[in-house]
Amino acid sequence: MEQQLDSVWTQTLDKIKTWARINSPWAIHFNSGSCNGCDIEILATLTPRYDVERFGIKLQGSPRHADVLICTGPVTRQARDRLLRIYEQMPDPKFVIAVGSCGLSGGAFHGCYNITGNINEVIPVDVYVPGCPPRPEAIIFGVAQLLEKLKNPAAAA
Amino acid sequence: MTVEAHTKTEKFIVPIGPQHPALKEPGHFEFSVEGEIVTGASIRLGFVHRGIEKGTEVRNWTQNIYILERVCGICSHVHATAYVLGVEQLAGVTAPPRAQAIRTIVGELERIHSHMLWLGVAAHEGGFDTLFMYSWRDRETVMDMLEAISGNRVHYSVNLLGGVKYDIDQKLTDQFLKGLEFLEERLTHYMKVVTTDETFVGRTKDIGKMPKDEAYMLGSIGPTGRASGVERDIRVDSPYAAYGEFPIKMVTDQAGDLQARFIVRIKELYESIREIREILGHMPESELTVKVPRRIPAGEAFSRVEAPRGELVYFLKSNGTDTPERIKIRTPSLCNWSSIINYAVGHKLADMPMLLAGIDPCFSCNDRSVTITKGGVHQTNWTWEQLRQYGIEYYR
Amino acid sequence: MEMEKIIDRVDDLLKPVCSQVTQVASFRIDAEVTVETLLDAVKILTDARWGYLTAITGLDKPAPAPAEGEQPGENHMEVLYHFCEGPVVATLRVTIPYSHAVIPSICGIVPMATLYERELIEMFGITVEGTPNTDKLLLPDDWPVGVFPMRKEFTGFAIKPVEGEGE
Repeated sequence: MEQQLDSVWTQTLDKIKTWARINSPWAIHFNSGSCNGCDIEILATLTPRYDVERFGIKLQGSPRHADVLICTGPVTRQARDRLLRIYEQMPDPKFVIAVGSCGLSGGAFHGCYNITGNINEVIPVDVYVPGCPPRPEAIIFGVAQLLEKLKNPAAAA
Repeated sequence: MTVEAHTKTEKFIVPIGPQHPALKEPGHFEFSVEGEIVTGASIRLGFVHRGIEKGTEVRNWTQNIYILERVCGICSHVHATAYVLGVEQLAGVTAPPRAQAIRTIVGELERIHSHMLWLGVAAHEGGFDTLFMYSWRDRETVMDMLEAISGNRVHYSVNLLGGVKYDIDQKLTDQFLKGLEFLEERLTHYMKVVTTDETFVGRTKDIGKMPKDEAYMLGSIGPTGRASGVERDIRVDSPYAAYGEFPIKMVTDQAGDLQARFIVRIKELYESIREIREILGHMPESELTVKVPRRIPAGEAFSRVEAPRGELVYFLKSNGTDTPERIKIRTPSLCNWSSIINYAVGHKLADMPMLLAGIDPCFSCNDRSVTITKGGVHQTNWTWEQLRQYGIEYYR
Repeated sequence: MEMEKIIDRVDDLLKPVCSQVTQVASFRIDAEVTVETLLDAVKILTDARWGYLTAITGLDKPAPAPAEGEQPGENHMEVLYHFCEGPVVATLRVTIPYSHAVIPSICGIVPMATLYERELIEMFGITVEGTPNTDKLLLPDDWPVGVFPMRKEFTGFAIKPVEGEGE
């Protein structure tokens, strides 16, 4: 990725934005047709044992306020349009985490007629968290990877 | 939001299922309403339709265990068990007693985790977030037990064609017994909340009442049906796995309202804990698997098991090769949706959210979606929150 | 034995209407019905309060490949209605040809059959006469018309099925 020479002001603004985003990214979750295994593990990250909210990650409802889209499932035909719409409604800069093997390649359902498989074919994905389903620790690690990427966009490109 | 008679079309998109208010829902459930009374109801499922039944026809019998497990993340073991029992029927073999006992233990553990999950979610729907957090924290004990036996918290693939993969040794037994003791203690607390906490009781008692006759005619199954007094439980009617040697007691209630559904599920948890303890105390000694041929003989098999939500039915047809000819899955939530659709007509719209939460819909078992339309032209979107508030205000 | 009594009872109920009633397993009865006698058979079971409708299964039975120089046989589909009472499962079987894939709806007698019938319509292309709702249940609205996923001739949209050897 090419380095752009920003003015001092835009560089500072960027730093502030990144700091704000890293310190409390707002996430939205979308289920594009998964078996709910991954969704349960995502919900489990909110419960007292893993308690992801203490890291400042807030799971909330509207795409218009979200920085991060956490997507599970192999994108069924019906879900595809909705997924695109949610992605478009999110303001820039936005990031996508694909949780679960279904979002990578269709997982166990590879080849079935009603699914797309790879979420990346519908919207660009930044972080993949493989597993069927991935443990809550793995999901938190995936989010932490994303935050790293946010902190060092050039290095991570 | 005013509670007045609308004669315009209003579309309510109602999310249901294990979710945080932040989770987006998939689904379409339509109610047509005239004034307060529901005049028609219908569903559009399919958001989670992945084409699994077709997919099973190109995978061999062993590969199918893994895709069928993933029909649903919450009840994955019962799907695998039903499938494997069906294949064993076709092949004319019976898994050895120890394997059946282990299948039963994992099945009951799954029931515990599923009911606790529902408890938390239903409590959350009622606004009791603390209960949601507590029940999910306690649920972690069950997840630990499942992980200890199989290595995974969800999709624990314990089943093999002809038996099970994992054994339970003394150390595991001790861990299970300790965990069960802890759970039993917590259950007393939940039972108290459900039966005596004023706010909770106010939101659940006499809400969404379904009388026994209607429930029977509508084909209500599982804890929803049993809460209305319908005595259907596959573990008792048609015992499979180890339920023949270790019978389970059916839990029913006569009230048929939402509170009864909570009570039935918590009582079932007690029964599950008792069952696991009994099996652990009398584990049969035998091998873990029996040989099953690669090509399953031609024929048809019908397998029925009791999933946490009700009766799960598998119909398998083999043509003598190493891939199935047809596998048909009928999940319990489909049956319960049916009964809700038919029950809804003639009843108040305000009762609907409670009814829908009460049947414990497993949305990936059939993808849940709900929209409510009041016959007319104008379209508005209501959220689940608004519908719930509507129900609450109506009864105030 | 309890199971034997239940089986005898359903045997007696169905014999008058069905051309063939066979016990195919210790707990399963199969009864052949035709498109004309289907409703009668269902009514008999419901009136006698024998069991409840558990599922409706569709089966695609394409004709086997013809021998050299022979005309291919007609393709058929079979619809199975499963009723359960206690441990016993009674299945009513109807066979229909592709050329006239029509069966009557049983929703008049068993209202909860509507969802199962919707699935038959969209997955197999069977016409169910008199069913109250023919909306798609599982398939998306933009699904191509005339494509029925559960028929054997459908093999996905150019997506190769997974082939695994010795797994």
